[in-house]
Formats: sequence, C-alpha cells, structure tokens
Amino acid sequence: MELKKIIIIGAGTMGQGIAQWFTQQNLEVELVDLNYDFAQESLKKIFQSFDKLKNSGKLEADAVESFKKKIYVKKMNEIDSNADLVIEAIIEKMEAKTKLFSDLDLLMKKNTILASNTSSFSITQLAANLSLERQSRFIGIHFFNPATIMKLVEVIKGIETDSDLATSLIDWFNQRKKIACLCSDSPGFIVNRVARNFYGEALRAAGNFDPEKFSEIDSVLKEVGGFKMGPFELMDLIGIDINFSVTQSIYDSTFQEVRFKPHSLQRDMVNARRLGRKTGKGFYSYESKE
Amino acid sequence: MNQKNNFDRSNIMVIAQPDHPFYSTILKNYQVKSIDEAMNSFETCELVIDLSPLRTQKKFLFLKELTKTTKAPILSDLTLCWGEWIIKYCPQVQAGLSTLFYSPKSAFEYCLINKNDKAILNVIFEFADLVGHKCIEHKDLKLSFHYPRTIAMIINEAYFALGENLAKAQDIDLAMKNGVNYPLGPIEWGDKIGLHNVAQLLDELNTVTKDDRYRLSTELKLNALKNF
Repeated sequence: MELKKIIIIGAGTMGQGIAQWFTQQNLEVELVDLNYDFAQESLKKIFQSFDKLKNSGKLEADAVESFKKKIYVKKMNEIDSNADLVIEAIIEKMEAKTKLFSDLDLLMKKNTILASNTSSFSITQLAANLSLERQSRFIGIHFFNPATIMKLVEVIKGIETDSDLATSLIDWFNQRKKIACLCSDSPGFIVNRVARNFYGEALRAAGNFDPEKFSEIDSVLKEVGGFKMGPFELMDLIGIDINFSVTQSIYDSTFQEVRFKPHSLQRDMVNARRLGRKTGKGFYSYESKE
Repeated sequence: MNQKNNFDRSNIMVIAQPDHPFYSTILKNYQVKSIDEAMNSFETCELVIDLSPLRTQKKFLFLKELTKTTKAPILSDLTLCWGEWIIKYCPQVQAGLSTLFYSPKSAFEYCLINKNDKAILNVIFEFADLVGHKCIEHKDLKLSFHYPRTIAMIINEAYFALGENLAKAQDIDLAMKNGVNYPLGPIEWGDKIGLHNVAQLLDELNTVTKDDRYRLSTELKLNALKNF
C-alpha cells in the first residue's frame, strides 16, 4: 500500500496528534476543522512540538524543516479530493460523523480510503449510507492518546470493509513502528471493552465515596497488579464524565450487558461536577491548599 | 484472639498443595502439610498458615475440621472465598491472605483482623520476605481481595472477546499492553495465574452475589477445564 497524501478532519487533541504522526512518516497532511482558527492553533502546537523534538535532539533540523512544509491547514471546501486517505477525528456525535462521511463520499475520488478514529460508534453503521463501493473502502483506525507516542492502532473492519484493505493498512502501520491490531466491529473494540472492568470492578469494591478505599484499591492494583496507575487516579486523569460516557455507550450498544453496567458512583460524581483533575476534584482532590 | 507476642517459625505449620505458586520456597522454610495431612495431624503448632485453594463452603468445612485438631491462630488464604463470611464464622482466622494469583510485582494482599496484633503482622511480613514478595494491606475485607477480583474480570472479558472472534488472542494481548500499558496481556496473564483459579473465583463471586456480571465466558470455561 502506498499513501502519499492524507487529510485529517478534526483538529482537537486526537486529530492534532494523528496529523503530527503522519507528517513524521513523511506524508503530506492537510489538517481541517470546522473552526479554521482552531486548526491554525493546532498547527502552531504541532510546529512547537517539532521544535521541541529538534531541541532535545530527537529530530534533525532538516527533518523538522521538511515536516513543516508537508503539513498545512485547509478549509473543508478546499481539501484535495485526490488524497489517499481521510481520517475523521471530530466530536463523538453520530449525526455529525455520518453527515461528514456522506459529503466526503461524494467529494473524494473513488479509491480514497475513508476512516474514522471513533472509539464508540460502529464502523458498519457509520458507513451504512455511503455508496457500496465506498463501504468497502471504509474502515476504523483508532489511535490512542498521545497518538505520536502510543504505539497501538486498532484497525476495525466493518461488515462491508474489504479484508485486503484492512490487512494492507495493518502492514503499513507495522512497518512504521506502530502496533496495529485487527479487530471486528464490536462495541468498545478491544481496549475500551476489555479495560471496562478495571474501573467497573474497582468501583464495586469501593461501593461508595470513600477516598481512603480509593487509595487502597489504587495501591493494590499498582503494587500487586503492576498497573502503571490505579483505576481511580486514572479515571480522574481521563475525566470521570468521559469514562462514564464510554461505559454507558458500551452498555447501551450491547443491549445492557450487565458486565458493562455503569456504577451509580460514576453518575453521582458527574452530577456533583467532580470530574477529576480537570475540575480540581474527582475521586481525589487536586485543589491547592492555601 | 492471639495472646502471643511472637511466633517461632519452627512452630508454624503451613498447609499448601504442590501447585501453590510459593510451594517450593515454603518447603525450604516451613513444615508443610497437605490438606489431608493437616486434618489428621495432632502435632502441636503455635500458628497455622493455611494456603489451601478452597472456595467458601469447602474452606469453612476444612477450617472447622482443622480447628478440632488445633487451637492455634490461623492465617488463611481467602483468594477464592467470600472473605468477610469466613472471617465472621471462623474466629480462629486472624488474618486473610491472597497468595494464589500470580503477581507481576511479586506482592500479595493481606487483611489483619486485629489491627494491633503485631505478632501476627510480623508472621505475615516474615512469610512475605521468605517467599520474596511484598505484602500490601487490605484493611476491611468484604466480598473479595481487590487484585484477584479485578484481574479475573479483565481476563474473563478477554475470553468473551475471543469467543466472539473480536480479535486473535495475540492481538488482544498486544492491544492491552500497548494501548493502556498493561504489564501483561490478559490472555498471557490468565495463563500465569492458571485459568482454573480465575474460573473458580468468578464462579464463587457469581454464587455468592447471584450477580450475572461474574458469569464465566464459555471460552474461559473451556480453556480452564483443559488446564485443570
């Protein structure tokens, strides 16, 4: 498989990281966002990241200059319809995504691969309204944050996705030091599904709001289980609202499979606006004591 | 309640089966008896460390028999048990241990019943030291120890995913190690712990709570029986 030019739509944290990683693979990258100024800000952050990598000796100066010429911001109506791959990394709203892919289906050349970085929606469902030909060139490519550092890429094959396309993409990523894993189109894919009970079981062990218990469970899972972070400190880092919403989404998508049932403490924390580090308090408190 | 200030290792009896992960190390440091030997032994000992891999009901019956032969305090492995129940109904049990599941950090949980009992605590620390492990306190044991119940649920989910052909075993392991930095993939983790142990724990949690979230994946059951 040969990829020369790709388009990343959505310049948030994930889109920005994905765009930077592809640029570092020497591809030409168009970064697009509904909010043009926001995309420009993201590009600035990517350039700052390149400079930081140059200053720390991780990238050569020549490479950085070359990368900066390969990535640029485009408006949606200006994108190159001949690009090889388009990756969508916009807000997790089904309506917004399906509308975007319908537009792209009409706009892009017939061989262009359309991909979604969704972590929660079905790939088959996202492609359902596209032309039959495009459905076979529609795939899930799920990166992990930060995309420039985390090696894993889940490659998700929808029902209509061409098997050869999935295999070729996996090879392409594996040749570039990513670890690409093939998975079928099922709620949460591999990681978000299998990791669900790291949180779910810990929440049931704690039962209610008890910071001493949270700390004990975190310690045990780090000191005995060898996990880098405990479930409560990790939920605080991710955002308790985000974690709750992923759990809820998988629970709903599996017709209320009890193994994925959210815990009432998650809902209570969200209702109390204790969302984790970003609000200064979650399972733990991060507010400075003055 | 324990009345002694310290225990001499030569007067401690350890009950363990040959498939216990610490078995060879324990043999070098303690007098070790099997479950059958322990129930028929009337040798005096000051303390018993019971590492039998039994579930709640069998553990209770075993401890009941054991306490007919000795009045010594007992430290009991409750990995596969409803810990709170055993502690409530077996008053000779002075601490619960969870040594049965492989730990990537060589550590295990313990729960001391009388928090001020330094002599029992010293026995636990000495035991942990001799088997090359750290021990981490679990203050108030309820349904189960934290690490085994959590990792068992993660492994079970990986087997549900395998059974549904979500991905290959190797890809599930790679994904969890590289996507969320797990020290081991859940499939290889299950092999290290022993799938029969994972299955026994989940089945016990399912029996005790009647909560379907603990039901075993048929794929796990299939593989656990193969290894049993």
